[in-house]
Amino acid sequence: MSKKFFSLALCLFISIGAAFAQTRQVSGTVTDATTGDPVVGAAVQLKGSTTRYSMTDALGNYSISVPADATLTVSMFGYLGVDVPVEGKTVVNITLKPDTRTLEDALVIAYGTSKKEAITGSVATVSGQGLAEAPVSSVDKMLSGKLAGVTISAVSGQPGAASQIRIRGNGSINASNSPLWVVDGIPVLSGDISFASNTSSLLTNLNPSDIESITVLKDAAAASAYGSRAANGVILVTTKSGKEGDAAFTATAKYGVNWLQSDAGFRMMTAREALSYQRDAIVNAGMDPDDPTSSYYRPLSILQGKLYNPIRDFTKLGQLQEYEISARGGNSKSKYYSSFSYHKNDGTFYGVYYEKLQGRVNASYKLRHNLETGIRLNYAYTQQVDVPMQSLQYANPLWTGETSLPWDDINHNGDWSAWSGYNGGDNPRSTAKYDDQRDSNYRINATVNLKWTPLKNLVLETKESIETIFMDSRNYFSPLAHDNTTAGQLETYHRTVNQITTSNTASYSNTFGGYHNFHAVIGQEAMRFSSQSTDTYSPVVDPNMPYHNTADQTTTQISQSFSEETMLSFFGIADYNYDNRIFVQGTIREDGSSLFGADNKWGLFWSASASWNIANEKWFKNNVEAVNLLKIRGSYGVNGNNGISPYKAYGLYGAAIYNGLTGYLPSQLENRVLSWERNKTLDFGLDFGILENTITGSIDWYNRKTVDLLLTKQIPQTTGFSTIFSNVGSMKNTGVEIQLEANIIQTTDMLLSIGGNVAFNRTKILDLGGDDYLGTNLRNVVGMSMYNWYLYDYYGVNPSTGEALWVTEDGSLTNQQSKARRYYAGSPEPKAVGGFNLDFQWKGLTVGAAFEFKAGNKVCIWNEHHYLEDDGADMSMNKMYSSYNYWKQPGDTGCNPKPVAGQTTNSNVYNSDRWVEDGSYLRFKDFTVGYSLPENLCKKISMKGIRVYVSGLNLYCWNDVNFWDPEQGVTGNTAGQYPTTKSIVGGLEFTF
Amino acid sequence: MKKIFTIALAAVALLSSCSKDFLTKEPALAQSDVLTLSTFEGIDKAVAGAYAPLASTSWYCGDFILSNEMRTMNGKRWVQFTRYNSGRYLEDYSVNFTATNTSGVWSYGYYVILSANSAIAALDNVEAPEQDKNNVKAEALFLRALSHFDLVRTFAQPYNYTADASHLGVPVVLTVDSEAKPERSTVKVVYQQIIDDLLEAEKIIDPSYSRKGVTDATASANINSIRALLSRVYLYSEQWQKAADYATLVINSGKYKMWTPDQVASIKDGEFSSVFNQDVPAEGEVIFEVYENLSQSYGGGNENVCGMTSFNGYGDCGASKDLLNLYEQKDVRGLLVMPDYDGNALFTMKYFGKGLSSIDANNTIVLRLSEMYLNRAEALINGASIPGATALGDLETVAKNRNASVQPATKSGVYAERAKELAWEGHLWFDLARTGRAMTRKDVSGTQVPTSIEPKDYRWAMPIPDREFTVNPNLVQNDGYNK
Repeated sequence: MSKKFFSLALCLFISIGAAFAQTRQVSGTVTDATTGDPVVGAAVQLKGSTTRYSMTDALGNYSISVPADATLTVSMFGYLGVDVPVEGKTVVNITLKPDTRTLEDALVIAYGTSKKEAITGSVATVSGQGLAEAPVSSVDKMLSGKLAGVTISAVSGQPGAASQIRIRGNGSINASNSPLWVVDGIPVLSGDISFASNTSSLLTNLNPSDIESITVLKDAAAASAYGSRAANGVILVTTKSGKEGDAAFTATAKYGVNWLQSDAGFRMMTAREALSYQRDAIVNAGMDPDDPTSSYYRPLSILQGKLYNPIRDFTKLGQLQEYEISARGGNSKSKYYSSFSYHKNDGTFYGVYYEKLQGRVNASYKLRHNLETGIRLNYAYTQQVDVPMQSLQYANPLWTGETSLPWDDINHNGDWSAWSGYNGGDNPRSTAKYDDQRDSNYRINATVNLKWTPLKNLVLETKESIETIFMDSRNYFSPLAHDNTTAGQLETYHRTVNQITTSNTASYSNTFGGYHNFHAVIGQEAMRFSSQSTDTYSPVVDPNMPYHNTADQTTTQISQSFSEETMLSFFGIADYNYDNRIFVQGTIREDGSSLFGADNKWGLFWSASASWNIANEKWFKNNVEAVNLLKIRGSYGVNGNNGISPYKAYGLYGAAIYNGLTGYLPSQLENRVLSWERNKTLDFGLDFGILENTITGSIDWYNRKTVDLLLTKQIPQTTGFSTIFSNVGSMKNTGVEIQLEANIIQTTDMLLSIGGNVAFNRTKILDLGGDDYLGTNLRNVVGMSMYNWYLYDYYGVNPSTGEALWVTEDGSLTNQQSKARRYYAGSPEPKAVGGFNLDFQWKGLTVGAAFEFKAGNKVCIWNEHHYLEDDGADMSMNKMYSSYNYWKQPGDTGCNPKPVAGQTTNSNVYNSDRWVEDGSYLRFKDFTVGYSLPENLCKKISMKGIRVYVSGLNLYCWNDVNFWDPEQGVTGNTAGQYPTTKSIVGGLEFTF
Repeated sequence: MKKIFTIALAAVALLSSCSKDFLTKEPALAQSDVLTLSTFEGIDKAVAGAYAPLASTSWYCGDFILSNEMRTMNGKRWVQFTRYNSGRYLEDYSVNFTATNTSGVWSYGYYVILSANSAIAALDNVEAPEQDKNNVKAEALFLRALSHFDLVRTFAQPYNYTADASHLGVPVVLTVDSEAKPERSTVKVVYQQIIDDLLEAEKIIDPSYSRKGVTDATASANINSIRALLSRVYLYSEQWQKAADYATLVINSGKYKMWTPDQVASIKDGEFSSVFNQDVPAEGEVIFEVYENLSQSYGGGNENVCGMTSFNGYGDCGASKDLLNLYEQKDVRGLLVMPDYDGNALFTMKYFGKGLSSIDANNTIVLRLSEMYLNRAEALINGASIPGATALGDLETVAKNRNASVQPATKSGVYAERAKELAWEGHLWFDLARTGRAMTRKDVSGTQVPTSIEPKDYRWAMPIPDREFTVNPNLVQNDGYNK
């Protein structure tokens, strides 16, 4: 293919040369005015002519035949165009100034970069600038609310926590719903790698300060170059590269605090409230709270005893510190960017601690004029120390803080130690002190590349990458933290993850006849992933030497796991545009995956897209001056999803122990035809810019249909199994996304801009392979959204008796919970998500504010609420303050049922719609005020710049969810999670 | 330029040629079926493992035995026995089944059939001495036959329900096919397949073969278990001469001998003991049994026969006074029906437990010598003849080893002896069904519990599980049940 185009190009040059033989030959170099680098592919044109035309080669050289008095028009995307008179010279060297405005529009896309104008698919981008100031430990957290159609759900507010990222909704039931992360052209591991800790994001090893830009590829056209794993979108992260020039250093220091706070007024009852509630409940049960022989003896004198505020006793002011230094520089041959950072976050709960050491080197070196090599290396050491959270257990400080009665003797011995009279013998403070629950990760990502430009316009590049994670985990239960045991219990876990990727591309670009711009990439990729782990468990170790060495070796259990996955891909991308007016792009990719059946390992993915830049049409330009960008685009394509665990396609045998022998029994049926889940996405979009790009925006409509869902299909048991993992079923996501930005004030001294985005997505399940629904309480239902609560229908309180009332199947009311009907009580899927931001700059002062919102989603915090508002069922637990609003006398409505000590009416049954709430919220996500000291002042102390700033994260959240924070993840339902906290950070940045 | 393309082409060719291996990643910690079944050793282990589901609490170490007994006059739910009465086995006692609460033998039976079929199909492709392959194949054939037999007697009416056994049986599955949606074969076809499998197994097995390395040798198939099962299958299909022939082959093998009355049950110094509760049977009657042990893959648990029939466990499955009343005072088998500590309820002692673990376990005997005598006696009464054997003599052999009076050599005599001898071993329900006798009981508790079920009643066949009809349109439900 390339060969043919090459000869075609050669023919064109020959003919151009022949036609203008009488004129003189002018040659020269086009260079970047700021860096001095040659500018490759710049168009050098005889002014006014559309046929006399040349392009600069890999060294920035051009040669063109023009009349001696001609003027050359030089243009290149990303630079301001210039007209240069030849004035009889034969060598004309030209420098181009970067166009800062259009440079922002340069997007990193699949296997290359592109200008915004040329993009035919749906992408969203965010620059690294400003991302780094927010006090977050992980890059995914920063994207929240910033990109239309990208939803980041923080299930846990814990330092280092993984988040759930969805691009255009949930597209799969069993396979992965998470996008593919590609850092500097190499797909990397993402997600949660926790073992002993509650949650541990793999993305924390990326330092936000190292990021140059992030591009999100949303539709098939944009993403299908990553075919196989692109079904859920692709997030491309580009880290900073070196720049030619003197070494520039940036050093920052941050310090901040974080704390737990509910903006919806959620709190637990005080001692006075709890006692009054309990006494009423006891009376309602026909007993006397002042009877010392009763199991419910709750005299008023309790209030004179020792009282606590358990939530306050189990939390503290969290503190975070971050220090980093980076250097950037280079010369004409070599460039480098390096950074090192240290991050430490002491959580708001005792015993939660997160620490990270991270470094990066991005270096490149020109070996020859057309040969360049480079390395991108990132290493990170993270240590995450945790206490048990994410489930409702005694050692969970939040859960125990919520449920401990204010008169429970939390600090019995004065040192917060565990004692038998309290909380099942566990005290979260002593758990935090004596137990050890930690994950240490050592992680290296390294990519070496070699880039060769053997011919003008042809670039061959190979990238070889290794990503390695060593994980060291320890789970130790100390007898000092648990009153009911005398021995220690130890589990250690070691895991090695290794992913090797090779990515090889050849790209060619050229322009023919001045109007026909062509670009093509062909490539090949191969990936091998392996993970192996060893888990060692000793039920009894000596607390004085809590290692396996002191365990009775016959009771020590060791188990190993091993899994491996490979992928091989071939792909091609071709772009063509006519005079920057009509753009078309086609991609094709064939992927083979070891995850699938022997007969169906290969999948072919493709996309076709086109756009028409109406604003570049003469008839439009001449008539509508106010509009400088108006582009319509459309795309269709097919992407794949192989986000399943390995070996699902194999017929498997597992061990079967019987009659003294270890034999084998079939454990899984083979599915030779198991294959990719496929996403077919149709996208139409409109990009516009008006009044010299003062207002820019884009609107997208899409229909993303997932077919061949990877589901367990029911089969006749006569086969020996009742299910087989197969490709059945389908679902779709349709939606609209709008992104808008406006630079309201733009002067040399002042900038005021606002931006916002909103996305409306609807998920609908079309077919579950014969089943009408999957799941019990949270169901996937054909014809409905992905998640739907199927719950008992709670009506409210009976105004005359104070009992709970339920709606039965025939619509009548009953006080018997067992007769209540069940119905679909809502979905955690938001109807709209988005965010908006405001940026203001005036001289050295910057103010930035960012908000994010979710609307129309329901949450159902049944795990906590059915205990914390249980109408007296469990009198050993404190209740949340809203429980205090209960029925007291006939006529009371709109309140909780009357509490009855030890009630058994099931009025607090967990799977009832009593706990469903509107989960909509508007979050004041980020507020930063910064000031850069005047340059002349900095110079006096040999600094290029000094900046001070204060940043607040999650300062306030407008919501009505009766809990710490409305964010409850994709399923709208969590248990004992570390809530999202509030933080304020101050920082100092020095550049020199 | 040319060179680059040559190199590129070569690279692509190289990559494509090795891509098949590159993209094949076998699981290391669970074996792929291909790997497991590619060697004789693997197949041998697959057959060893194929026995394991027999010990499931849905089959021989639980529901299959318990449900069959609770549907007859042998069983009783003692409502007075409230200490541990958990509400289990109410449907079984009431003989009130629907397609959603039917027997689990459906899934476990076909699971063992899959294991057996996989092994049988793979044996042709591996290298090993022919006799070794045949021995393992014979075991697989035995397991396939036993599974089909338990399925057909559970989910179909008895063989003589129609004159030519042309009524619906169960699907016969002989191949491994995850796409298959088989129809139900007629009972005649199912029985013929069972007999064919067993005859082939008998033909190819080394008569001295016994699986090596096992704890309990009687819990794996050998020539005598194959022949004993053939005797039973012929008896059920009323092929009397063959039933007698095969019973005779087992009796004359000299491998087994009748238990003495003391072995069957005795109380010495207040200690009860019985051969039914031993961990590994010593020489005696057991021809084939299912071995139960808590550390096995199917390790029983609280819901095993032991737990359900024990006043130390759940105790929902009691024994009735009807059963106790069958035994004369001197009959040692009467000791196998014992009251609990308070004397509120009766329980069978055949699964009292081995006393080896806190949640106790007990083997379930499938085939034993006294059944062979009773099979032969019944066959002889129905016209078979064996030189030197008489029905009365066989009945005597059983009775004298139980300190019991000898039953007359009539059908009712042999039925009576069978009821006494094989109580709580999963026989009675099927014996009543195949001999066309009503199930009647006097000692019942509860109002919804039928005191009789007449011959040809729809309830003699259990409903096929509901879920099967949504995934296999070729299946037909038994009469009397909703889909």
